[in-house]
Amino acid sequence: MTRYRNHQPLFGFCLLLFLFTRPVLGTENQADKECFESRDGMSQVKVRQINPELVNIKCSSTTGGVLWWGDPFAGTIPMGDMDIEADYSNEEAVVKPREPQLDRNKMLTICSMACHDGNYVPIPHTKNPRSLKMHLDTVPDAMNLKHGKGNIWCLDCHHLVDRTKLIDNFGYSISFNQPQKLCGKCHGQVYRAWRDGIHGKRIGMWDKGGKKRWWVCTECHNPHDVEQEERNSGFAQLRPEPAPNLPKGMVNADHERMHHGAHPDE
Amino acid sequence: MPKQDSSNTKDNKLSSRRDFLRSAGNYTVASLSGAAMLLSDQKPAKANVTWEEHFQKNYRLMTDEEKQQAIERLETRYSEEYGKQVTVDGSPSMEGVLFGYALNIQKCIGCRRCVKACVAENNQSRGDEQQIEWIRVLRMEKGKFSETDRDQHGYPESFGVQVGGNAYKPAGVVLEGQHYYEPEQVPEKDAFYFPMQCMQCEKPPCVKVCPVRTTYRDPDGIVVIDYNWCIGCRMCIGACPYWARRFNWGEPNLPKEEMNPVTHYLGNRPRMKGVVEKCTFCVQRTRKGRWTACVEVCPVGARKFGNLLDPNSEIRKVLAKKKVFRLRADLNTYPKFFYYMD
Amino acid sequence: MRFLQFVVDYLKAGFTGGILFWLWMLFLLFFIMLWGYGEYVQIANGMIVTNLNDQVSWGFYLANFVFMVGVAAAAVTVVFPAYVYKHKELHRIVVLGEMIAIAAVVMCLLFVIAHMGRPDRLWHILPVIGIFNFPHAMLTWDVIVLNGYLLLNIIGGYYYLYKKYSGGEINKSFYLPVVYIAIVWALSIRTVTAFLINTMPARPMWFHSMMPIKFITTAFAAGPSLIIVVFLLVRRFTPMKIADEAFHLLSQIVVWCLGIALFLTMSEIVTELYPATEHSLGLQYLMFGHNGLNRLVPFFWTALSLMVGSFILLLIPRIRKNLKLLPFICIAAFVGIWIEKGMGLMLPGVIPTPVGEFAEYTPSQIELMVVGGIWAIGFFLLTFMLKGAVAVLQGEVRHRTGTSKQAVSKQQAEATT
Repeated sequence: MTRYRNHQPLFGFCLLLFLFTRPVLGTENQADKECFESRDGMSQVKVRQINPELVNIKCSSTTGGVLWWGDPFAGTIPMGDMDIEADYSNEEAVVKPREPQLDRNKMLTICSMACHDGNYVPIPHTKNPRSLKMHLDTVPDAMNLKHGKGNIWCLDCHHLVDRTKLIDNFGYSISFNQPQKLCGKCHGQVYRAWRDGIHGKRIGMWDKGGKKRWWVCTECHNPHDVEQEERNSGFAQLRPEPAPNLPKGMVNADHERMHHGAHPDE
Repeated sequence: MPKQDSSNTKDNKLSSRRDFLRSAGNYTVASLSGAAMLLSDQKPAKANVTWEEHFQKNYRLMTDEEKQQAIERLETRYSEEYGKQVTVDGSPSMEGVLFGYALNIQKCIGCRRCVKACVAENNQSRGDEQQIEWIRVLRMEKGKFSETDRDQHGYPESFGVQVGGNAYKPAGVVLEGQHYYEPEQVPEKDAFYFPMQCMQCEKPPCVKVCPVRTTYRDPDGIVVIDYNWCIGCRMCIGACPYWARRFNWGEPNLPKEEMNPVTHYLGNRPRMKGVVEKCTFCVQRTRKGRWTACVEVCPVGARKFGNLLDPNSEIRKVLAKKKVFRLRADLNTYPKFFYYMD
Repeated sequence: MRFLQFVVDYLKAGFTGGILFWLWMLFLLFFIMLWGYGEYVQIANGMIVTNLNDQVSWGFYLANFVFMVGVAAAAVTVVFPAYVYKHKELHRIVVLGEMIAIAAVVMCLLFVIAHMGRPDRLWHILPVIGIFNFPHAMLTWDVIVLNGYLLLNIIGGYYYLYKKYSGGEINKSFYLPVVYIAIVWALSIRTVTAFLINTMPARPMWFHSMMPIKFITTAFAAGPSLIIVVFLLVRRFTPMKIADEAFHLLSQIVVWCLGIALFLTMSEIVTELYPATEHSLGLQYLMFGHNGLNRLVPFFWTALSLMVGSFILLLIPRIRKNLKLLPFICIAAFVGIWIEKGMGLMLPGVIPTPVGEFAEYTPSQIELMVVGGIWAIGFFLLTFMLKGAVAVLQGEVRHRTGTSKQAVSKQQAEATT
């Protein structure tokens, strides 16, 4: 704890940088409409014109979710290798890099360089989970790590000294852009299904050999809270798109909310 | 337009009534458009297209040349009407492809993004007057099970004997499905969701009942409609067990700026009043290799689509590895739309 | 030439009458104008002017169509006893039955056109220039049987009248086959119309094999009810003589068919409601409503009471044979069946939708105008056809073989006495 206190000026510098960069992004947001692809707040895209006839995305006016991609591959990078040879090896597979989404204000880079280099802030000696004392405002779900139900902790997934990276079983770093390599450590069955294209999501060309944008784990799931408590759905709650119009002549849909039996409840 | 000149010289070769009608249309149009050009600055091309379009054959029976002409007519008309370059694709079925669709009912969160994405892609009528959506999502209740909710009395009550099937308040009873659910947030704790659209049946009851064969099943498994041949009798709407078909009760309302200019003749080209429409697995996309709009938009990846004839396709892998069922399989319609669970 | 003269004379006879006749025709004409207006609005704006929607896509038009097919078929209740059982009294008026059939079929065709979203594309269904999806589409069968029936009745009825008019002998080897074919054909229009809607498992309310026979029995109750009323009016307003015996036979047909129809209704209700599966939701909605949606309930019970009431009354010979009371009972039965086999059949078939959605439907003003107008057209046609036919049968209108008008009026005088 004493070591932290000694370096408060540096931390202040980080904060300043953070505050300085934010308004710039803010004005940009206002200029272009921003929508989310799958996770609200964690998969943002700006609407722009690809050419006079075509927009990159169409958004829902009610929920701000992306409804339609003019170019499904905009802003993507090659997915990189997977650990086994399969169909996708012959197809062009791209992903949208997660880093710009997760590190929108370049904080992680600064943190790694400035403090969490393994010396300045030492690597913890034990793996005993403890609650965070600092950074509660900047670390997502800082006090709410549901994943693993207390059996795992931050540094099981995050790199010890490189905050811009995740970590694999051998201690090597994994890019935030390839979270599947991390998640696959435990969720092998889901990982296999994902590799087969039957778990998760892909957009682009369905046909064999066609270019596909693969969606990676954290584009849909919140890694700190996948189950979402008793809903157990794997997805955070969203605002739904509006219900269809009632059929002509109907004033409400109360009839479909009544239960069977002689005593309708509610 | 060049066709118009040739019909003047070929009138001794009128082989059928249809040809006669078409060339009659040409003559009328020629004189009409001439008059119109003299009278005002109205564009004659539009009138011409409308007449020829009115007397065109059923799309499937057209020669390749006639199909091309029909498509060009539409492209001209649509481009003019919507103020942008509209393309009408006429791609036939893909060789060696049978489309299949699978929906993970366990994953669906009921957000209706697919419904709206479908509308953005497929140029349906929108607005309060006439809203057409090809996908309907049902909210299914998980049921209520509580001690107080049960009916422990006999029936009839004074005899004190409970007769099977007559309990007033069966425990765990569920609603049939809510169409108009609108919670603040989905998924809800006590519900799951069930999206439905055209099942692209292998034995489609709608095709069987169509008196003019305007709706038919293409070899790649998509049940399509020639909107220009539909007489609006709505037999197909009656026959469809999945309630997948919609009718253009009035002139569709499709704002210019929202119109998707990439269209297919049998798919998302703008429709006219009085005809039936339905999901075509986004034929304008899928026959070009692109995933359907609903597959792409699903934020939870519950929708899978691919070639059933390709053993390595994702749809075949779903069928091989997951627990799959089809809706109303008892009707022997053999849907190509599957539901599955992990 | 002679035939042309027949047409002219027939039209003339059809359109001569007293003040009451013209008032009646003007009254009908008013509704026919409403029909014209309604159709115009509907064609100009699309079917959005109706209250039909994707949930309830078949409604008032098709309900009336289904019912009128029954009335058309029911002409056979006059023809059949006349030719098969050689019923003398009915034989004399068999042509009048055929006129009712013609008017009813014309109404059917008009109802179908009103129901169509694109009547301008009607030619698409014509064989050769369009595509006629025969034998796959049940609707094409219906097109064949209905138009065939119309043709058979026009040929049968007007051949007979023309021979009467021109004084020639009826060629029995031509005429009798037409009559017998028409008898069987009458059953076919009702059966095929039942098949049209009961071959769709998507609509469990209709999806049972009892439909055709139920269709036929209700038709043979409603049809003769109308025929009785029309014949009583003919007897009242024209010199045509129709023996009481004819009415007795017809009312007997009504009572038997009504009885069978009620029995079948009861069978259906028991079969559906005892297990009360989801397939019976349509019937439950019709009889008891669904979660507060109960617009059809009063109609069902009204129809049932009218049918049961008229059946019980008609069972009593004294009442059945009372020709002063009979038309009122007949009208009650007719209205009851019109509800039961019209909207009471159509709506619970489409509500709930195959995916379980309930929506209530009431016809719009345009739908009421069009349907009312088509009924007016039917009565208009029927009135003038019956007047012409009666005039021919009575010998009032006859081909003038070069003789003077005096001779004709003399013949007429002879005929009327």
